Amino acid sequence: MTLTERPALFDEAFLRRLEALELASRRLTAGRMKGERRSVRRGQSVEFADYRNYAAGDDLRQLDWNVYARLERLFVKLFVEEEDVTVHVLVDASLSMDFGSPNKLDFARRAAGALAYLGLAHLDRVSVAFLGDGHATPLRPLRGKSRVFEVFDFLSTPRRERLTGLAAAVREYAARLRGLGPHILVSDLMDPGYLDALRDLAGTRCQLSVLHVLAPDELDPDVAPDARLVDRETGQPVDVSGDDDLVDRYRTRLAEWQAEIGSFVTRRGGSYVAVPTDIDLADLLFDVLRRRRVVE
Amino acid sequence: MSGLLAPLALAGLVALPVIVAFYMLRLRRRDVPVGSTFLWQQLVRDIEANAPWQRLRFSWLLLLQLLIALLVVLAATRPFGTHASELAANVVLVVDTSASMGAVDGDGPRIDAARAAARDVIARLPENGRVTVVAADDSAHVLEAETTDRSAALAAIERVAATQLPGDLTDAFALASALAARDADSTVVVVTDATADRLPPVGIGAPVVVERVGETDANQAVSALSVARRSGGAQLDLFVAVTNHASADVTRRLEIYADGALVDARDLAIPAQQRSEAIVSTVPPATSVVEARLAGDDALAVDDRAYAIVPSADLVRTLLVSDGSAYLENALALLPRLELYEVSAAGYEAALSEAADAATPYDLFVFDGFVPDAAPATAALYVGPTADGPFGTVGDAVEAPGIAPTDPNDPLLRYVDFSTVHIGRASDVTLASGMRAVVSTSGGRPLVAFGRVANAAAALLSFDVGESDLPLQVAFPLLVSNLADALVPVGDGVLPPSVRLGESLAVEVDPSLASVQLVDTPSDGATRTTDLALTGGRVTLPPPNAVGVRELWDPGTDGAAVRLGRTAVNLFSADESDVAPGDPRRITEMGSPAPAQGNSDNVARAEWFWPLTLLALLLLIAEWVLFHRPTRRSVGRVLGHRAAPPPATRVAGRGR
Repeated sequence: MTLTERPALFDEAFLRRLEALELASRRLTAGRMKGERRSVRRGQSVEFADYRNYAAGDDLRQLDWNVYARLERLFVKLFVEEEDVTVHVLVDASLSMDFGSPNKLDFARRAAGALAYLGLAHLDRVSVAFLGDGHATPLRPLRGKSRVFEVFDFLSTPRRERLTGLAAAVREYAARLRGLGPHILVSDLMDPGYLDALRDLAGTRCQLSVLHVLAPDELDPDVAPDARLVDRETGQPVDVSGDDDLVDRYRTRLAEWQAEIGSFVTRRGGSYVAVPTDIDLADLLFDVLRRRRVVE
Repeated sequence: MSGLLAPLALAGLVALPVIVAFYMLRLRRRDVPVGSTFLWQQLVRDIEANAPWQRLRFSWLLLLQLLIALLVVLAATRPFGTHASELAANVVLVVDTSASMGAVDGDGPRIDAARAAARDVIARLPENGRVTVVAADDSAHVLEAETTDRSAALAAIERVAATQLPGDLTDAFALASALAARDADSTVVVVTDATADRLPPVGIGAPVVVERVGETDANQAVSALSVARRSGGAQLDLFVAVTNHASADVTRRLEIYADGALVDARDLAIPAQQRSEAIVSTVPPATSVVEARLAGDDALAVDDRAYAIVPSADLVRTLLVSDGSAYLENALALLPRLELYEVSAAGYEAALSEAADAATPYDLFVFDGFVPDAAPATAALYVGPTADGPFGTVGDAVEAPGIAPTDPNDPLLRYVDFSTVHIGRASDVTLASGMRAVVSTSGGRPLVAFGRVANAAAALLSFDVGESDLPLQVAFPLLVSNLADALVPVGDGVLPPSVRLGESLAVEVDPSLASVQLVDTPSDGATRTTDLALTGGRVTLPPPNAVGVRELWDPGTDGAAVRLGRTAVNLFSADESDVAPGDPRRITEMGSPAPAQGNSDNVARAEWFWPLTLLALLLLIAEWVLFHRPTRRSVGRVLGHRAAPPPATRVAGRGR
């Protein structure tokens, strides 16, 4: 089966373009297998890292004979080890995400699929999980480009989560964390515990990227003069009189909220990207995320 | 001074607190699903209030709605101000509805302009003023009598419609005069186009104000239509005259229809204020009804069509009983439809017997200086009778009688001028019941009389024509012709060949009939059938009010109806066809001079209903616009870009 026979999320040309990108992992972590990422370990790459004194049993091929000629002491050359990392892509699957035109959850699935493919294409382990109802539903970590269809199938699975419970879900995921690596959260963050969730993710000491997905209707609402806004998750109504003043205040509050999240994430070394769902996915990946250094 | 005509409408002010209450009631809002109310909850703080009432807040919508309600209530109370009125307290409003008011001017039907002018008069009425609304065609019709209710007067004005009848303001002025006589503070307002409607000979004791309507004079009319048999009835000759009343030359297409089928069409070039005539010989001899029609449009449609009934081909057997009167003989011989026979008085009985034996009775008798002992059962003309007869009793001779003025509208005197006639001697005849004097002496004695006696038509010349200069004048053959037509009508059956609009007619039919049916077929409408009861074989037909053909039918006992007669109904009124607005002074001068100071004691009401209603409507539009005012976002959608950049971040990020 070729990639072109799986039209579900992306076409082959798009995937080929994706292979030119790589997920940024600025923090060095120890991996499990040989990979393309610099590891905290010393190993068998061509990139020189350090010297150390020779100890019995060391591989004589690693001795630096030039140094021995000058100093008459035996030093072993250490090289940077290149290992894999585990890319964690977390998708908020609450009911609030199933809203907007284009739909936020659909957009999140496609963005997560693209990011996961990036990891798989560069020999990283990829862990994809849905967050909802206070739980994390992960797919077992996968490695290798050929496993991309499992990822896509998983992302295409219909979700039945209702509430977010974002903080609890993240906490559960972090507790079961296997393999360090960049964490990418794709969510609208419309949950009272969004800061706790971000704090928990940042606490994993991994590279954190937040794709804050919002529908155009949420960025620039057009509310009827007298409307009762009904929360898709909780069913809680809010009576509003949708005049320009209220819409202006909403926009201001939204901007403050985004700035607050951005500041929180940035202070913890992460990246925050506000993503409207009407953006072209290629623009997001090849332009926006590259400029934000989520991908390289 | 001002006031309210309907103060009870102030009760509508109760709507104001109701509107306020609606604003204090919580709205039934439309549910709009959103992804999350996470942010909205932080903006709206009164969501937890579940009480049905809320605090009243200032709202432009509320303010506008209160103003609209206030204006509507005020308008319903019909507030008014007052000002001095030029009209009297008692106004007789006469609206001309004669045929010329059916004209169409450049800005619409003339009758619409008349109604508008009449409504304006009602608006200018003084406070507590009374108005009588009269529609005047050939008579007066009171639509609303002395009312102070303006709504009733306005409703009456809306019922005013143009007729096809000739105009005659005589009745209307008589009525207005009677009303004005009861109240010295009266004004007669005539809404008319001031065409040459007939006016009464004397004026009335109240000022007359004319509201003139109408603009155009662009009208042409079929002004004459007659048909005669020629060549022993084998050919019909149709004479048509078309008059151009406009001030410009025109060419109109004249179409001739024989029993509904087009048989001739020709263009007539008619100079301004002139008439063109045409003789059409293409009408089939078997035709019974001929119609002349002007194709195309002009100001007045009713006079563009005219009808004529084709006369019967039967000749009238006429017996002149005379000892020799060349004048009578010649005059009767000139009439083509008479088959004239002449006997002396001595041979009268023998002639009757001969006719009875041959079963060819005479239709008309002319007795010259002779009165038979037994009056004939058919029509008879008595000339210079020397003995009593069915027409009346003959008294002494009247020497050189003067002749009283004659009625020019009497059909018996059509084209007959008696002003130059001199009579040497006449008999003093006392007319029998059923006879009427057509021409009288200055002493009131009949010179010419006509009537029905013993179920037979009878005419009388109470003088020997040889003892007058009448036979030497053109009037004589015309008078003989008119009398012959009246004695033996030319028309189809019992009806004359034509009648004018508004002209009533009494006809004699078989006394055994209980009822007859009158069938009117107007040129522009559906056939109307009217059942008429008979009284001793005599029936008075209601005046026709539309151009067309009128028929009288015996409904029959077994369903087999028999037509008793047929006649054509035409306008043929130059006064009505000349639709150009006339000089209103002719009518104004019928009234007394207006008071020099005007009716300063009378104040007119100026209602503010419409200004208030208009203002309320404008505010309603403003309220609608305010309610549906465009948001910046919708403006941006229309313009294709955002009207103002939103403060929210669409694509942003924080990176190291």
